[in-house]
Amino acid sequence: MLSRIASRSVQELRPILVAVRPTSTAAAVDKTEERDEVNFPRRVRPIEPGKVRMGFIPEEWFQFLYPKTGVTGPYVLGVGLATFLCSKEIYVMEHEYYTGLSILLMMVYSVKKFGPPLAKYLDKEIEEIESSWVNYREGSIANMKTSIEKEKEAQWCAQGEKMLFDAKRENVALQLEAAYRERLVSVYSEVKKRLDYQLETANVKTRLHQKHMVDWIVSNVKSSITPAQEAAALKQCFADLKALAPKAA
Amino acid sequence: ATVSFRRLQWSVLTPVANMGIGEYPAEYNRKVHGPYDPARFYGKADIPFGQVKLGQLGAWLGRRRITGLPGAVSRAYWSWQHKYFLPKKTGFAPFGQLMVGLMAFFYAINYGKIIHHRNHKYHW
Repeated sequence: MLSRIASRSVQELRPILVAVRPTSTAAAVDKTEERDEVNFPRRVRPIEPGKVRMGFIPEEWFQFLYPKTGVTGPYVLGVGLATFLCSKEIYVMEHEYYTGLSILLMMVYSVKKFGPPLAKYLDKEIEEIESSWVNYREGSIANMKTSIEKEKEAQWCAQGEKMLFDAKRENVALQLEAAYRERLVSVYSEVKKRLDYQLETANVKTRLHQKHMVDWIVSNVKSSITPAQEAAALKQCFADLKALAPKAA
Repeated sequence: ATVSFRRLQWSVLTPVANMGIGEYPAEYNRKVHGPYDPARFYGKADIPFGQVKLGQLGAWLGRRRITGLPGAVSRAYWSWQHKYFLPKKTGFAPFGQLMVGLMAFFYAINYGKIIHHRNHKYHW
């Protein structure tokens, strides 16, 4: 979202260069098949102006006369013309002329002296402004590229996140399994305890029953043994012992 | 309702607008010619004056139209600007040419007064 706001602000702030350039809406029109690029080429802003001599005479006029009159031709023409104008006093050298001459001399001196430094200073300023535009544009492009790279990296990281999620899911599953098994074990132990208890109580019961029964039987038997039976049993035992004794001796 | 400033301009200047001032030339076609260049002539190309033969001179002059004069002046001005004034590293040339041009113009219109300040009465 922030990148969209940034790109919109780039659109508004984009400066209009002085060079003749079509706007973005006209670009589509300028690229149709009917566009005559040969006879009507796109105009380019020149860097250097047309050459002049002595501050105002275009170089082309000198070149035009060069084949016929050589290098000195135009100067001779100028001198001759000036002589003619002054001698016939078509150009009157009145007091304004001398004022003009003095001013001209001062101007020539100042231009020759302060011209190049001023030109260098102005060129530097222009260079700064233009490079700020170009750098802004190229900086924005570079920023976009790095943010694209970062976006791709973030996407790659997000894929790594998937693995993380799987691991976490597995972790949770393991925990669930562990809890389930723990509970299973506790259930088992509880049930076993209950069953053991039942078993123990049953055992105790049977043991008690048995003991009680044995005791009761023995006590009954003991009480049912009459004294006559007891004497007869005792006699029998003595007789058996006597029978056995000679065998031992 | 918003009225665009351009509409207002034209409603006030219709008599002038009928002369084509401030509008593109009739022969300019954006699809063919591209962005508008005020220094170019977009009509039918004629023989340049430097290549006109003496016999064709009369016909060539006959083809000139007085209504094309403002356009010609405008195109000359723009081509001078493109050559000397609008390049990135302009020099002293436009100031010099302007100075000399204005000097010549003002000398010409004041000639009647200046001629009374001649230093000599008779000349060869």
